[in-house]
Amino acid sequence: MNDSSKTNNVLWKSIEGLNNDPNIQKMKEDEFLDGVTEDFHPNQLSGISRRKFLALLSASAAITATACTDYQDKGEIIPYNKRPQEVLPGTENLYASTCNGCSLSCGILVKTREGRPIKIDGNPDHPINEGKICTKGQASILNLYDPERLKEPLFNNRKISWNDVDKNIIEVLESAVQKGKEIAILTGELTSPTTKKVFDKFSEKYPTTKIYSYSTINQSTRSKAWFECYGSYEFPSIKFDEANVILAIDSDFLVNEDSYLENMRLFTKRREVVGKTDFNRLYVAEGRMSATGMMADYRIRVSPDEQYNFVMSLVNELSKKGSNIEFDPVTKSMVSSFSINNFSKKIGKEKLNYLIDDLNKSRGKSIVYAGSTLSKEVHLAVNLLNEVLGNSNLYNYLNESVVILPQSSREDFDRLIDSMKNGNVDVLIHFGSDPVFYLPYDFEYQSSISRVKTVISLSESLNESCSLSHYVLPLNNQLECWGDSFVQTGVYGLQQPVISPIFNTRQKESILLTWISGSSSNFSSDNYHKFLIENFTQTVYTKLNSFSDAKRVWLSSLHDGVVTLKNVEKLHKKISQSWIPLLKLAKENSGLTVHLTESYFIGDGYFANNGWLQEVPHPITKVTWDNYAALSPLTAKKFNLKNDDIIEVSVSNSKIKIPVFVQPGLSDKTINIEYGYGRKVIGDVGKDIGINPLQLISKNHFETKNILTNASINKIDGTHKLVTTQEHHSLDDTFVKDFHKIRKIIQEGTVEKYQKDPKFLHEHKHELFSITNEHTYSGNKWAMAIDLNKCTSCAACVASCNVENNIPVVGKDQVGKGREMHWIRIDRYFSGSPEDPIASNQPMLCQHCDNAPCENVCPVNATNHSPDGLNQMVYNRCVGTRYCSNNCPYKVRRYNFFDFRDHFADEYYQNNLTALVNNPEVTVRSRGVMEKCTFCVQRIMDVRSTAINEGREISPNEVVTACQQACPTNAITFGDANNPDSNVAKLRNHNLTYHVLEELNIKPNVTYIAKLRNTHSEDNS
Amino acid sequence: MSFVDYTKEIQVVEGKQPLRTIDDIISKPLETKPDKKFYIAISVTLTMLMFGVIGLGLTFWYGIGMWGNNNPVGWAYDIVNFVFWVGIGHAGTLISAILYLFRQKWRTGIARFAEGMTIFAVMTAGLFPLIHVGRPWLDGYLFPYPNQHSLWVNFTSPLLWDVFAVSTYLTVSLIFWYVGLIPDFASLRERTANKFKKITYSIFSLGWRFSNRHWQHYEMVYLILAGFATPLVLSVHTIVSFDFAVSILPGWHTTIFPPYFVAGAVFSGFAMVQNVLIFVRRIFNYEHIITLNTLEKMNKIMLVTGSMVGYAYAMEFFIAWYSGVQAEQFTFFNRALGPYAWAYWIMVTCNVVSPQLFWFKKIRRSIPIMFVVAVFVNVGMWFERFVIVVTSLSRDYLPSSWAYYTPTLVDAMILIGSFGFFFTWILLFTKALPVVSIAEVKAVVDGAQPSHKDH
Repeated sequence: MNDSSKTNNVLWKSIEGLNNDPNIQKMKEDEFLDGVTEDFHPNQLSGISRRKFLALLSASAAITATACTDYQDKGEIIPYNKRPQEVLPGTENLYASTCNGCSLSCGILVKTREGRPIKIDGNPDHPINEGKICTKGQASILNLYDPERLKEPLFNNRKISWNDVDKNIIEVLESAVQKGKEIAILTGELTSPTTKKVFDKFSEKYPTTKIYSYSTINQSTRSKAWFECYGSYEFPSIKFDEANVILAIDSDFLVNEDSYLENMRLFTKRREVVGKTDFNRLYVAEGRMSATGMMADYRIRVSPDEQYNFVMSLVNELSKKGSNIEFDPVTKSMVSSFSINNFSKKIGKEKLNYLIDDLNKSRGKSIVYAGSTLSKEVHLAVNLLNEVLGNSNLYNYLNESVVILPQSSREDFDRLIDSMKNGNVDVLIHFGSDPVFYLPYDFEYQSSISRVKTVISLSESLNESCSLSHYVLPLNNQLECWGDSFVQTGVYGLQQPVISPIFNTRQKESILLTWISGSSSNFSSDNYHKFLIENFTQTVYTKLNSFSDAKRVWLSSLHDGVVTLKNVEKLHKKISQSWIPLLKLAKENSGLTVHLTESYFIGDGYFANNGWLQEVPHPITKVTWDNYAALSPLTAKKFNLKNDDIIEVSVSNSKIKIPVFVQPGLSDKTINIEYGYGRKVIGDVGKDIGINPLQLISKNHFETKNILTNASINKIDGTHKLVTTQEHHSLDDTFVKDFHKIRKIIQEGTVEKYQKDPKFLHEHKHELFSITNEHTYSGNKWAMAIDLNKCTSCAACVASCNVENNIPVVGKDQVGKGREMHWIRIDRYFSGSPEDPIASNQPMLCQHCDNAPCENVCPVNATNHSPDGLNQMVYNRCVGTRYCSNNCPYKVRRYNFFDFRDHFADEYYQNNLTALVNNPEVTVRSRGVMEKCTFCVQRIMDVRSTAINEGREISPNEVVTACQQACPTNAITFGDANNPDSNVAKLRNHNLTYHVLEELNIKPNVTYIAKLRNTHSEDNS
Repeated sequence: MSFVDYTKEIQVVEGKQPLRTIDDIISKPLETKPDKKFYIAISVTLTMLMFGVIGLGLTFWYGIGMWGNNNPVGWAYDIVNFVFWVGIGHAGTLISAILYLFRQKWRTGIARFAEGMTIFAVMTAGLFPLIHVGRPWLDGYLFPYPNQHSLWVNFTSPLLWDVFAVSTYLTVSLIFWYVGLIPDFASLRERTANKFKKITYSIFSLGWRFSNRHWQHYEMVYLILAGFATPLVLSVHTIVSFDFAVSILPGWHTTIFPPYFVAGAVFSGFAMVQNVLIFVRRIFNYEHIITLNTLEKMNKIMLVTGSMVGYAYAMEFFIAWYSGVQAEQFTFFNRALGPYAWAYWIMVTCNVVSPQLFWFKKIRRSIPIMFVVAVFVNVGMWFERFVIVVTSLSRDYLPSSWAYYTPTLVDAMILIGSFGFFFTWILLFTKALPVVSIAEVKAVVDGAQPSHKDH
């Protein structure tokens, strides 16, 4: 033993210490030298001193007091002991993925904070949507946190484990194959080639499988028409930016149809007022009033059942003036039987002549585009018209539509239902689809389903089909899924999960893969992930001719969220005319025509449980939380109807009862009803909201299901209150007519006028002066410019703002009372006649006035001005007098009349799950507090602190507000008005810029760019 | 009518009452047990008050959403009631201070009661700014108090001026009232045998011994306080009108508001005082103290102020037209012809047309008719505030944000409750304090003052 070596390592303070003196040892044990703690040694407590007694008394009192508080255990808060890779608390992570909200499969960028997705925006690298995402996509984040999602697999409404599910179903599938009974899979529109591959494998394993695809929103008529003309089901996209004249035939191509994000972007390229004004001219011929119709320079009222005759008459009229193609003799005689004269009476000669003239003048530089709800015949006629005009060079064959799985035909479904009735179908799998809700009623799908032995519904939340199923299997939300999409040639999108499944859910492909594997034990949570990589390597990687290895390419593609595939542009084929003899003059329908269109914000009903989307006001009528039968004022008068009356709409044998909304601008023959509403089996939010008009469709209408002719209506007793966010003032009420123009809220001009006199807007302006010394802004001064030429009223800004700023959903009753909380709204004004209204849209938000009238009236200084020009709200200081709101001329302040987060039954939005959707950077406001647009102050502060950290100035366009980021047409510009390099500063000096209510001299910082209408000069008056 | 000798002053107190009788008659309600009628009356007012308490409870528990207020119409019944009650509180101080300074002796019979009503009305009014806020538990923020946040109130906000104006008015009115009560407390002290009452009256009479010196001091203090209170009569409603006039809302942003509001306030105040006094003089047999002549004079004031208010209505229209501002013009058209036209025409009928009846002497002196007219005036003045507050807000600059306001049940409950609150205080007042000033009435009884005739 070597003592000295040991002592070398010990630090000693004294000899005694080094020698382990027992006294020193004892001193070390007692923390305090004078023995304070000794008193409380349990062994010595018997003789209690006064001091001890008091100490014990106070200690026990303290313990009792703390133990009896009503502290609620709100769960554990667990810090990151080890920081997960890539997660830095307080900073956001962005993941590229693909949106599954509809079949457009846009590229998205999901913002996560501390591992929790909080916002969805467009992926800027995606060639189709280029960084933009629609209203539905924005708000779809709430679906992830929907407390009414399915959480566990269910068998006959009882919880069951996944293992048992897999075991039982594999058994059932195998026995079906053995017995030779059909296994039917019903899916919605398929956008993923890998899912298709899973189906193929499934059919391989279980050979009696048949796959049916059906979606209420589809392009089948366009696709079929294209096939008949050009021999291919895959139709090209349209180069709207190259068209000088666009004629939309009952098509909402700008706001709610086809690839509308792309269309909007291309269209507004030709609505640019900075630089050269090279405007296109938009004609819209429609029976309903669509958001695209509101954008039209000329709107022509044509009922959808007359569209075919209308287009053919145009073909006739224009081919007389020369045609780009040779007509066959049959075609020639066929075409000449259509006369435009019928329409010149209805539409007005002037408008029609303009249209024919413009189309004639811009041959090869115009496009006629039919809506996807129209029949195949209209699409055929439109294809012919485009050929006559030589517009085929506006077809973009680089991005053709891709059909992964064609829609099943009526015969397919007839056969399926027959076999179901005959007991030949053993297994029915609803692959994320809800056929009970959307299949035509007279297929009798609902009643035949009971004859199927095993019905399996794969769904995110309860739906009509689930309620009739034996097995209800919960699916992952799109943000918990792997996937890919291929909807346009050349663009391959990838989807990746950004959060692990919150509940005991699985991805639908993963479920099938387990069943394919033949054993429940083969399930692994990454089976589809692996399958996807494998398929990517086999199909996409090989096409890329990359020098890197497959894994690297996969990871980089995943990072980008999209792969652009090289694509050879097809040559435009000559149009076939063989189909023309089959056409005939459409019958004149004396009855009314029901036009069923997709709802603007809840899709085909998939988003019905999303409160944010239910509450976004309809772009035209501003109705929320309902659908309705829109009638023209004249028709309403004829049937003695007014808003909120209930009518019975009947088409052949089917009837629905639906409230009426009188909509100026509708064709007198058209009843426009939006579908997606009227869900019966769904969560609390979407249940029984609106009426399901799909009940009107019989299987005879399967092909042209959206246009139902010979409809009749009759008024029935009772009313149903439709709530709107904007009061409706009758257009012919002279009392309030054209106020938006008289008060210069909306200022407009024509392109011609602007080109002649760029300063026409400011002709009668006089200098406004102030009697006080104005505050000077020396540093940054935040400002916004909104280009009304580009606003299509799509409401993506509204949804984006809702998500970014934690805007509560208030519900129908509160919207009815005028208490909606949206910080940005889109005001819609009509001028002109009720038959032929001219719509003007205007996004309205807090104007952050320099001389804000709200600020000086607040008694507690809760709203005040920042040195960089923001009108701020201090929620903590606000007592809620509402004086500021009264004094705001724009009425953009929003008051929390209730605690809207617990206003719903069972504190709907206060559950642990939904609270996760909140943006952690934005305060959740309590009851009794005023709130309003902050210009996304959290984003400004974020940029500012980054700039300070990096020791630089904020660059001119660095701050991007949520609404600006979302705006698909870039109508919103934000930035530093004091920086001459910023876009907003340039727009503030534009000749078309004006302030709303300028004469109040409150100096708003939101400027509007006056809308120019590209009409003919005669209309200037 | 018979010949009236205008050179002779009309007797303030009718008949030649012995001074002792006046003491007896005025202090009688204080010395007798409340009768059945009193209990019925107070149970009615307490029930009304209960409605208000329930309405407020619901509001505090759930939020302002229980009311009909909506986005453009941020203020409705809450502020309408506030302005209405502040208006009611105007007659008292006008009668006791301004008429005192003008040596209007007929005020003596009604001054005490009118002052009491002022205080109760201002108390009622004062509730509304406190309860109309979204977070009433933070009402303290409305007062400038030193705090560690270094946060200060916003002195540019008219709502803050209200806080000062109303609280000052309440304080001065209360002091004025109390000073007037001192000699009466002393009289009551002398009369009562009840020990508890004696102690209470002794404390409140501040050792008054009816000495000449006391009277001299008293008269001087009363005069000074009257001088103090006089500008306040004008300032309170002026400042209340600033709540509207300082804003930029068409229909609110009007320079005529201060005089118009003051005239309206005096108008409604007198109507309310007249209404209540008609009952009081009847129930307590004060017909000879609160004489028909006095009531007639009040009616004349109503005629004057009613006409002033009518003039203001007309002038608003004229200025709207003259200004050339479209939004302003529309607001006034909208008042008369828009969705709230019914409220506007109720207002005009009640406030402008009905008091015109007072041009006729017979009507001025007919108690049932004058009562009905004054009720009309009260209704009309409530609607005046409703028209100003609600119609202006419901349709302002941007047609996109226009909306119609409909009150809810809770709104009605709080309105009823405010009446319950007010009248409960009035009823308690009639049993707790002399509703007519004993000392002052004695001073104006025929023969109380030395005169050369009888000598």
